[in-house]
Amino acid sequence: MTRTADLAPQAEGSTSPSPTPAAAPPVWRDRRARNRLHRTEHRWAAAFIAAPVIGFVLFTVYPTVYALYASLTRWNGLTAPKFIGLENYTALFGDEYFLKAMWNTFFYMIGIPIGLTLSLLLALTLNRQIAGRTAFRTIYYVPVISSLAAIAIVWQFAYNGDFGLVNQALSWFGIQGPDWLQNTATVKPAIIIMAIWKGLGYSTLLYLAAIQSVPASLYEAAALDGAGALRKFRSITVPMVRPVTFFLVVTNIIGGSQIFIEVNIMTPNGGPEFSSASIVWYIVRKAFKYQQMGYATAMAVVLGLIVFVITLIQFRLNQRNSFSID
Amino acid sequence: MKKSRILTATLTAALVGTLALTACSGGDSDSADGGNKEITFMFRGGTDEKAAYQAAIDKYTADTGVKVNVIVTDADQYATKLQAAVAGNNVPDVFYIEQASLQSYVASGVLMDITDAVDASGIDLDNIWPYGVNSYRFNGTVQGTSDGALYGLPKDVGPFSFGYNKTMFEAAGIPLPDKDTPLTWEEFVDICKQLTVDTDGDGVVDQWGTGLNVQWNLQSLVWGNGGDWTNEDHTEVTVDTPEFAEALQAFADLTNVDNVTPSAADAATLDTYQRWMAGEIGFFPVGPWDVSTYNDLDFDYDLIPWPTLGDESATWVGSLGIGVSNTSKYPDEAVQLATYLSADADAQQTLVDANIQIPNLIDMADTWAADTAAEPANRQEFLDIVQDYGHAMPAAFTYGAEWYDELWTNIQPVLDGKQTAADYLAQEQPKMQQLLDESIANAEQAG
Repeated sequence: MTRTADLAPQAEGSTSPSPTPAAAPPVWRDRRARNRLHRTEHRWAAAFIAAPVIGFVLFTVYPTVYALYASLTRWNGLTAPKFIGLENYTALFGDEYFLKAMWNTFFYMIGIPIGLTLSLLLALTLNRQIAGRTAFRTIYYVPVISSLAAIAIVWQFAYNGDFGLVNQALSWFGIQGPDWLQNTATVKPAIIIMAIWKGLGYSTLLYLAAIQSVPASLYEAAALDGAGALRKFRSITVPMVRPVTFFLVVTNIIGGSQIFIEVNIMTPNGGPEFSSASIVWYIVRKAFKYQQMGYATAMAVVLGLIVFVITLIQFRLNQRNSFSID
Repeated sequence: MKKSRILTATLTAALVGTLALTACSGGDSDSADGGNKEITFMFRGGTDEKAAYQAAIDKYTADTGVKVNVIVTDADQYATKLQAAVAGNNVPDVFYIEQASLQSYVASGVLMDITDAVDASGIDLDNIWPYGVNSYRFNGTVQGTSDGALYGLPKDVGPFSFGYNKTMFEAAGIPLPDKDTPLTWEEFVDICKQLTVDTDGDGVVDQWGTGLNVQWNLQSLVWGNGGDWTNEDHTEVTVDTPEFAEALQAFADLTNVDNVTPSAADAATLDTYQRWMAGEIGFFPVGPWDVSTYNDLDFDYDLIPWPTLGDESATWVGSLGIGVSNTSKYPDEAVQLATYLSADADAQQTLVDANIQIPNLIDMADTWAADTAAEPANRQEFLDIVQDYGHAMPAAFTYGAEWYDELWTNIQPVLDGKQTAADYLAQEQPKMQQLLDESIANAEQAG
C-alpha cells in the first residue's frame, strides 16, 4: 500500500480548506518530525493523554473486567475466588428475593415521571415574577445538598405510624394514616415520595435554566398566531426543554436503579416481607453480610446490563425525536 | 462514527454507574510508621462505648509506649468496612469479630491462632467467662467448645436480661415481681393487662404492659418452651416443632389477642424502646449496653428473669470478640492489646465504670454484682444469665447467618395475626434448611 493511499481516508474526512488535501498532510508531518520543539510538545501531549487513559484503565476497565470474572466464581470476598462458570447466573433466576428486589427497584422508578412533571411545573412557577422567588429557589434546593442518610432518618420519624408528622398532618383532615414503613402496600410509595421530594430541587433548577434559555421570539411569534398559554407550553416550552428532560430521565434511571441508602436506613431488614428491598440493597447484603461476593457480583453485572440496555434504548429514541431550530 | 460515539457514551454512563459499586473496595487505613511501633485497632460502638474504649486505649499507650491508631465505625457499617479492608490487604492489626463470622475469617486465613501467645501472656483464662472464651475457639469443625484453637478473646459477653418499670408497678399497686422465680406466661400476661391503661382519660391507651421485638425477644420464649432453632450440631433446622409454634403464637397473641402492646407494626420499629424510656411500658428487655442510658431515666427499674411458657427462664447471651490479624507487622503488640482490652483489670474497670458492659473477669464481676446501691439493684441477674441460663444466639456458631435471617423476612403476617405461627413455620422450615445446607457446603469448601 502506498503512503498516499494510507492517508487517503483521513484526508477525505478532513474539513481542511486546503486545496490539495491529499498532498498537504505528509509535508506538514515531515516538518513537524524535524522540529525539536514539536517533538517535546508531542511527548507532553502523550503524557497528558496518558493520565486520563491510565485512570480509565485502572479505575474503570480493570474493575469492570474483574467484576465480570468475579461473577463467574464462588468467592466470599476474603480468600481467592474459585471459578464455577455460569452457576451464579443460573442460581439468580431461581432466587425469589432477587426477582422481588428487581421488581421493587423498577417499581421505585414510578417516581421519576412524577418527579419530573412536578419539577417542570415548579420551574414554571419559579420563573414568574413572584415575591421572594430567590428564597423559594433556595428552599427547594436545600434537600438536594442535605445528606441523604440524615434525610432518611428524619423521614423515618415522619412516617412513624403513631406519632409521625405525616400521619399527624393526615389526622387534621380526619384521615387515619397507615404505619407507612411497616406495611407492604405503603412502604414503596413512602420511599418514592421521599425520593421525589429529595430530587425535586435539582430537576427544578435544571428546568429553570432551560426555560430561561428559550428564545422569547418563539413565544412572541406564537402569540401573534393566537396561541394561548397552554398551547405555548405544550408546543414551545416542552419541546425546547427536551434535552434537559432527556438528561434527567437517563440520570434518574441510572441513579434510581442504584437506590440503596433510603432503603437501608428506613427499612434495615428490607421491609415487611422483603417489600422495600432494592437490588443494590440485596447485593450489599449478600456481599457483605453473607459473604457471597461472587453471587453479589453476578447480580451487579445483570443490573449493569439492564441499565446499559435501557440507556441504549433511550439514546436511540432521543435521536429519533431530536429537535433543532437551525 | 456517530453510532459508536453514542454507544461509548451509553456504555460509560451505564457501566461506570453500576459497576463502580463493585469496584470501590479500598481500605481507608494507612498508618505512617514513624519509627515507633504503631498498631491499628478497628472497632464499632455507640458514643459512650467509643469514649470508654478510647480511654482504655490511651492508658494502654501510656503503659506500653505502643501507639494505637484507632478506626471506629458505627455498628451497621462495621462488617462492610472490615471486609473491604481485608479485600484491600489492609487488615487492621486488632479488630472486633462476630461469633457468626469467626469460621469464615479463620478459613480465609485472616485471623491469627493466638492460643500460644495468650498462654504465654500469663492471663488467667479461667477467670474469664467460659462462654466468652469458647465462643472464639474453633477446632476446624466445631466452634464454641473448649477444645479448639483460640482465634480471639471476648470483648464482652452480653446477657440479655428483662426489666420492669418499678415506679409504674408501685403507682398501680401491683406487687413487685420476684427476682428469683420467673413469672409464668399467664401471670405475665395478667400483669400486662393491668398495666395497659388509658392514663389521661382521653379514650386512647397510652400505657402498655410490654412491647417486644420479635427478632430479639422470640428466642427467650422458644427456649423457655423447650423449642430450638436447630438440633445440637447445627445441621437440621427445627423451627417446625409444636413448641416453637406455640412460642411464636404466644408472642403474636400479645398484640392481637391480649392487646397489651402498642400495635404490631410498632414492635418492629424503635419506638417501643422510646416508649419504655418515656415510662409508658411496664416490662422491657435490658442489656448491659443499655444500662448507661436507662440509669438516666425518670423512673426506677430492676431486673427479673424472663417470663416463661415452660418452667425455666431462658434468654440469650451475645458476645463480640477481639481478633488479631495474621499479617500484623507487630503480632506481639497486637496480641498484647487484645489481651489488655479483654482481660486487664484496669481496662475492664474503665469499661465497666462506663456502664457499657459487665466485667469479663469473674472475680471482678462478683464484687460488681454485690454492690446493691447501684442501679439496677439486681445486677446479679446478668451474671446468672451468663453462668446458668443464657444460650448462644441460634446462628452464633454456624457458618454465616443467612438461614437464620430467613425466618424474620416474611414473619409480618404472623405478627399481624393474618397467618398462624404453625402454618408459617411449616412453610419456612424447608427454606431455612436449604440455606443452612448451603452454608455447611460453603464451610466445607472454604476449609
